[in-house]
Amino acid sequence: MTQANKGGQRQEIVFTGFGGQGIVLAGRILGKAAVIGDHRQSTLVQAYGPEARGGACSAQVIIADQAIHYPYVRRPDVLVCMSQAGFDKFIGQMKEGGTLLIDKDLVQPKGVSGDFFSIPSSRMAEELGRIMLANIIMLGFFTAVTGAVSVDAARDAVVKSVPKGTEEMNATAFNKGCDYGLAVLKGREKKASGKAGA
Amino acid sequence: MPCALNLMTDFNIILFMCNWGPHAAYQTLQDTAARIPDEIKMVRIPCAGRISKALLLRSFEMGAHGVALVGCHPGSCRYGTGSSNAQDHVEDARGILELLGLGKDRLRLATFLPDEPERLLSFLQDFTTEIREMGPSPIAPAGEKTLLIEGNNAIQEIVAAHDVYACQDCGKCSSACPLTLAGKPFSPRGIASEVIAGHIDAPAVQKDIWSCLTCGLCYDRCPSAVDFAGFIRDLRHYLATSGSNNHTAHGGFFQSLMRTMTSEDLQMRHWEWLPEDIQTDPDSKILFFGGCAPYFDIFFRTHLGVKTRDILVDSLRLLNFFDIHPALLMNERCCGHDLLWSGDRENFGKLAQLNVRALRDMGIEEVITACPECYRTLARDYPQQGVEPGFKVTHIFDLIEKEIDKGAISFKELGRKLTFQDPCRLSRFENRPDLPRKLIRRLNPVSFDEMPEHGTSAICCGNSAWVGCDAFSKALQVKRLRQAHGTGSDLLVTACPKCQIHLRCAMEDPFLGEELHMEMMDLASVLAKTIEWE
Ligand code: SF4
Ligand code: SF4
Ligand code: SF4
Repeated sequence: MTQANKGGQRQEIVFTGFGGQGIVLAGRILGKAAVIGDHRQSTLVQAYGPEARGGACSAQVIIADQAIHYPYVRRPDVLVCMSQAGFDKFIGQMKEGGTLLIDKDLVQPKGVSGDFFSIPSSRMAEELGRIMLANIIMLGFFTAVTGAVSVDAARDAVVKSVPKGTEEMNATAFNKGCDYGLAVLKGREKKASGKAGA
Repeated sequence: MPCALNLMTDFNIILFMCNWGPHAAYQTLQDTAARIPDEIKMVRIPCAGRISKALLLRSFEMGAHGVALVGCHPGSCRYGTGSSNAQDHVEDARGILELLGLGKDRLRLATFLPDEPERLLSFLQDFTTEIREMGPSPIAPAGEKTLLIEGNNAIQEIVAAHDVYACQDCGKCSSACPLTLAGKPFSPRGIASEVIAGHIDAPAVQKDIWSCLTCGLCYDRCPSAVDFAGFIRDLRHYLATSGSNNHTAHGGFFQSLMRTMTSEDLQMRHWEWLPEDIQTDPDSKILFFGGCAPYFDIFFRTHLGVKTRDILVDSLRLLNFFDIHPALLMNERCCGHDLLWSGDRENFGKLAQLNVRALRDMGIEEVITACPECYRTLARDYPQQGVEPGFKVTHIFDLIEKEIDKGAISFKELGRKLTFQDPCRLSRFENRPDLPRKLIRRLNPVSFDEMPEHGTSAICCGNSAWVGCDAFSKALQVKRLRQAHGTGSDLLVTACPKCQIHLRCAMEDPFLGEELHMEMMDLASVLAKTIEWE
């Protein structure tokens, strides 16, 4: 499994978790980042409704350079799971060789034989004093790991989409997730070159 | 030594000559009017083994271009161990000269029997030729004493500068002072009132001024916030400039070393020993400042066997782990901490200026160091003493903590029980006892237990700035090491190379050594050995 490619391509992304985690907001910020910051095209489909209640809620985002004619995601390139139910529901749809991102403490990636990326986003949010920031941390992590949107565009979109007065806190959360993602990538690179320790 | 100094001409080779075997040969040369090179200045000594590393280095500090220590053949020493002592001293001093960039070959050891005058003569002639070929030593004698500060006024100024008049005579300092608690008839409050009363000239007061550890514990306790350590530092400067003997440890070797480094023309080889796998980048704007650990290891090679150089290597490995490839300064000089704290402000200032100039020439924007003394000195004392660094100074713990906090890092299991010796310059002077602890808590040991006195209240390792080491320092160290054992730990984690040196010294005690012995490792090394990508 490799990082999703940037530019010239189309990426289909599913964010999933449980209600109240700010999954849809994360999807919306991602779309804004792609359109406003990176000048690409994007669509968002949010799944509320009975099937989401208490179970998996999701945001489907497509990012592309050309016009997007069909906004539903059937085979995501990137699947981001912040709840077990969301994982269980969507893992079967993920594209072969797609990128899986999970919250380390909330999701058991059962049956996944390949590689995946994990971050304790909820725990980190608690450490920052606000569990509500977990989605933004995850978004930072997503940005660093997949490169689907540029870091500056994503950070800008975060700051412009959150309630007044919480911009700084959210930017910090985004940076934390992003740093974590970069650290994970660096760690992988080091391990691959046979240097896990100092 | 003074006689040798007076004799110094344009070109000087100091010949320390043992009174026994070789001197007889030398006399034969003199009697037969043999052609002993003019540059040779002979100093007759009782035994080659008595010439300490301090004296050898001091000759160079005072301007010698070459030094030969001439003694008796091993086995023919009148005192038994003289020849092997001389060998050790010369080997260590040669190592130090090499790091300093003077070159080890400016110092020689040779042995002669009384009936070998010809061999002695050709040795002297050859050595002189070699030194002539090497050219003059780049060391410009620094001199220790400059202007005499005017007595009473100066003292009053020092007293006022540290607000010692605010002393309420409460005695909290004396009840906290580790020296007083070790049983030494010593009282910071006493010093304060004696100095205020104008008794700075009393020998007992002066002795106490050189005994203080400048550990700062008293300042921590003082209700009037009398900065006693800073007060002592300035009093020492006053005493040094007015000629008081400054009670240095190890014959003043380290002060001499630091003064030697004030010579501008030195081309030092501070980092030449660095393992090849360490990645550095001469163009980096970030520089790692190592400090004097490489010198310490050579100096204590046969006595304490400390490996403080490992702290530098492991710090660099940690930086490399995070893909930071810092620049290094081959001409790195001592930060000057110990000169400042042992009263030599002039030479401290020279070191500060040379270091800052060299770093500025390299365009350095940030200096990282793993030594709490270097940190404190570069960050605080340089600007306070009028040398603006113009770069940011970062303790490596801050940087590593920040990097680890980004995530994806874990620590291998460390099957040891840890306790921690606080470095006074970081934990107390900078008031950062939490910084090393944050990192320790990230580790994965069997246990971590604090000694009864820790953090800002921690007891000193027993010495600072290589002055005033005595039996009470030892008593203090014994107490500290017993506290460390009392925690049930088996690894004493340190964060200053000096803590390792001074505490190891107490472990060498012939009677208590075994009871006190405990393995020590710097926190940087513990981190480097166990850190890994998740
Ligand atoms: S603790 Fe402070 S106020 Fe009290 S005697 Fe000592 S210096 Fe004076
Ligand atoms: S600085 Fe330390 S050794 Fe010196 S008087 Fe204060 S407590 Fe005692
Ligand atoms: S404790 Fe030992 S190593 Fe330290 S200054 Fe005293 S004698 Fe030297």
